[in-house]
Amino acid sequence: METTPIMTQNTSDKPVTCTSGIELKPYYTAADIPEQHRPNVDVAPGEGPYHRGFHPSGYRSKPWRIFQLSGFGKPEDENERIKFLLKNGETGFIMEHDRNTADHCYNVNHPDVVARREDVGLTGAVMQSVRDTAICMDGLPVDTSFGHAGGAVVQHAPFALAAYWTVAKQRGFDLSTISGTGQSDFNLTYLGCVTKEQIPTQAGLRFNADIMEFCNQHLPRWVPVSIAGYNAADTGLTPDQELGVLFANAVEYLDEIKRRGNMSLVEAARGCGGVSFRASIHIIEEACKMRAARLMWNQLLRERYDINDPKVGNLRIHCVTAGSKMTYQQPLNNIVRGTVMALGAILGGVQSLGVSGYDEALSIPSEHAHQMSVRIQQILQEETGIADVTDPLGGSFYVETLTAQLVEKAWTFFEAIQQQGGYLAALDSGWLHAQAGENQYQEFMKTESGEQKIIGVNCFKDDESPFQVDGFMGTDDAFDVATERLNDVLRTRHEQGAARALKQLEADCRTDKNIMPAMMEALAAEVTLGEIGDVYREIFGNWNTPIQT
Amino acid sequence: MDNAQKRILMAKTGLDGHWRGPTIVARALRDAGFEVIMIGMANTDDIVSSAIDEDVDLVGLNVGGHIDVAIRAIEGVQKARPELPIFAGGTIPPHAAKQLAALGVEVYPPGSQLTDIVDAAERLTGRA
Amino acid sequence: MREHTTQALLAAAMAGERFSLARLLSLIERHPHVEAEVREALASHQPQAVVIGVTGPPGAGKSTLISVLLSHSTARFGKTAVLAVDPSSPFSGGALLGDRVRMQSHGVGGAVFIRSMASRGENGGLARTTATAIQVLDACGWPLIILETLGIGQVELDVMDLATVVTVVLNPGWGDTFQANKAGLTEAGDVFVINKADKAGTEQTRADLQDSLSLLQSPVPINIFETVAVKQEGVETLWRGIERYLEACNSLGLTAHKMAARRNRLLLRLVLRNLEAQLQAYWRSAQGTQYVQRVLAGELTLEELQADLCAHLCHQKAPETEHTS
Repeated sequence: METTPIMTQNTSDKPVTCTSGIELKPYYTAADIPEQHRPNVDVAPGEGPYHRGFHPSGYRSKPWRIFQLSGFGKPEDENERIKFLLKNGETGFIMEHDRNTADHCYNVNHPDVVARREDVGLTGAVMQSVRDTAICMDGLPVDTSFGHAGGAVVQHAPFALAAYWTVAKQRGFDLSTISGTGQSDFNLTYLGCVTKEQIPTQAGLRFNADIMEFCNQHLPRWVPVSIAGYNAADTGLTPDQELGVLFANAVEYLDEIKRRGNMSLVEAARGCGGVSFRASIHIIEEACKMRAARLMWNQLLRERYDINDPKVGNLRIHCVTAGSKMTYQQPLNNIVRGTVMALGAILGGVQSLGVSGYDEALSIPSEHAHQMSVRIQQILQEETGIADVTDPLGGSFYVETLTAQLVEKAWTFFEAIQQQGGYLAALDSGWLHAQAGENQYQEFMKTESGEQKIIGVNCFKDDESPFQVDGFMGTDDAFDVATERLNDVLRTRHEQGAARALKQLEADCRTDKNIMPAMMEALAAEVTLGEIGDVYREIFGNWNTPIQT
Repeated sequence: MDNAQKRILMAKTGLDGHWRGPTIVARALRDAGFEVIMIGMANTDDIVSSAIDEDVDLVGLNVGGHIDVAIRAIEGVQKARPELPIFAGGTIPPHAAKQLAALGVEVYPPGSQLTDIVDAAERLTGRA
Repeated sequence: MREHTTQALLAAAMAGERFSLARLLSLIERHPHVEAEVREALASHQPQAVVIGVTGPPGAGKSTLISVLLSHSTARFGKTAVLAVDPSSPFSGGALLGDRVRMQSHGVGGAVFIRSMASRGENGGLARTTATAIQVLDACGWPLIILETLGIGQVELDVMDLATVVTVVLNPGWGDTFQANKAGLTEAGDVFVINKADKAGTEQTRADLQDSLSLLQSPVPINIFETVAVKQEGVETLWRGIERYLEACNSLGLTAHKMAARRNRLLLRLVLRNLEAQLQAYWRSAQGTQYVQRVLAGELTLEELQADLCAHLCHQKAPETEHTS
């Protein structure tokens, strides 16, 4: 009996493409795998070109880290929420700082912050001095867990890191043994979430190289900066572009370290090897993206920097599920979305994962939503068997083809960025924003026209979801308490010591000295965030944003 | 129905730098024939003085944080120009949307159709 | 809201009522008859305001620069009005008047009045009613008006007609991209600014500019300034330079001369605009259409067409049947 494949419901001749624009066939066979990739298919994880991962035993030896973005209110509120999450099973913790103050390096008494006092503490805890950070870190397992110190925005990172490390030191932890991560994220700061005032990209690069060099000397187990694709993707770049831009970003850091000559490139590459990606909802493509990333990192190190050590090529990937895919309408549906996106990341073999709250489109996560994000990961880890086999998709005709195609397309975008003069130039000129903007518009139009169905939003709508979910608004005393504490610090600190330390920081900013030693001194001397921000604005000026914000 | 050129002020009440949403809306309004004056992240004073000096026909607020911040801007505009319509979009949870509606502000949360927003602009400015 | 008569609105605006001024500007933009009424009411008003034109290619940093200049200008003049003109979309008629993002406001009813205008189809970089808007601001007691327009080359330089001093804002490397249009901008400017001067190529750009400017005859020296507006560097020096230019023009009697020449050019432009409107109307009329067809068919000459047009314009009469045979 002849068996013909059953055609799907797609009766139009319109080609089907994945998010990266690569056309998808109805099914794949071995012949579809691009020739140059075929030798790679039947290698083991831990063997070059590493698209299958670095450890043959994968999640069996080390499950992915459950790592949730968290924070709001006063430092003690954030402390409480972190402890709640740790108790519920997260295996690392993230200390997010209040964005109104941190992103801009303002104290709460800055007029633009005062004008928005109810927003203070909404998306992170207010930490204006080392005293606040100490409260936030009270009783947290700095030495046994993996902490993210905050400092997502580039100009904020040195302060956030120095604050965390200073508190750790004061608590008797040995900085040379603690592990954790910074972020200092260019795609967030200069592409996705452009602030009102920010140091220019060149100054930002200087900061990050300083952080990398400082960690190399004093905190060898700490991931100094985390190059992140999340905001590139959530601002509109497609998966192939997210890959290309992430590696273009890495090149800036490595080239700068090379130029300075203070630190071995091998060490720098190891430091840069903790990256993060967005995990979006076309899950096979997303899994392929992670596989492509590992391959590309090793290719980049080999071909551009002549680094062949596989230990260095170990790309550790943290993933955050796409916040922009979470809907405002029928929020409980987002539990499914979060789960599915998490699955895509896990199939891609990531080392660390944060699942967005189901109330993401309404507010920061409520306790319940936060817990749900952890439960999703725990169920996947413990009940599904998904962690039992490394790179389960490996060998699939579709997955190997798409992985290879993504690599190629991503390098093309990488080259296009180099044509623009490199990643920093592409940010300064607005070229990357233009790419992202055009994509977002197209994507938006697809939803608008109904071509892309979003359940509950443009189809299967209901006026009022029977399961009411409202936004979680944090606490309402963050501003008042922060104001009190700011006045307290300014009043009770050793003023001469603080003035001296701030002066030293200013002097070091003006030269090309590494600013981190002076930053550590400043934190210890209880210099406040706003005072440091003022120094930055004075010395570095403001980035000329290429877009309307 | 009024054929005159209509001007819309667009501002963000929070200090959050996300620019996707507002940019798409501004572009759609421009494509529908509106003159869109974008002042970005703005304090209440900035919003009110622009609403007056630019003599706009509609104010569009992108709200990202606590609703009290937006309410101050709304009340400022309503005091200075009581007849001027205001609509708002952004991360506005249900309880906050109700508060805005009570002030006479139309709310367009994430997932709203662009055509609905453009239609609203036409209706509120008296073009439709 | 009660409808104000134009006269009442103008009186209120001149008495300092901010919203009346804003509303008047809107009505002028919207209704030609209101514009005409206002021009007539202000015909005897002696222009006193200094107008600083700021022009240059997109992305040069004009708005950021103006934002920083405002603190100097308000210190010197007390109040400053900013008129910022952006192009309208030729497809939809809408516009994104976006650079206001970079101009910090100075509070409600403050010393700075910022007004955005879309070009609404005009080609010279200005809106049709910009000249009248300036006249109104002047009459309402704004001693300094900064007029920001997009200027790339010879086409968008109407700002020259309205400004006492034209400041051209460029970036390093400008010469390379805008070769063909260099001539226009270099002729238009009274003061030149290389903004983002911390970027590579500043020296070369200065040299290029110097070369172009040396070919021009100017009674007042034309200076080139370097600024980094986002760091507020060089802006005070620039402001002093603008002030010196204004003083030099004044002392040489050039200001009065320039303003007279300006009024002359404006008058010509208004007359041309009116004539063009009448010509268009004739062309569309039954009589005009007929005449044009006959010229195209070779039955009448161009001169005869023009004669009929002139007669029509002089007499403003309805078409006579004796002309159509």
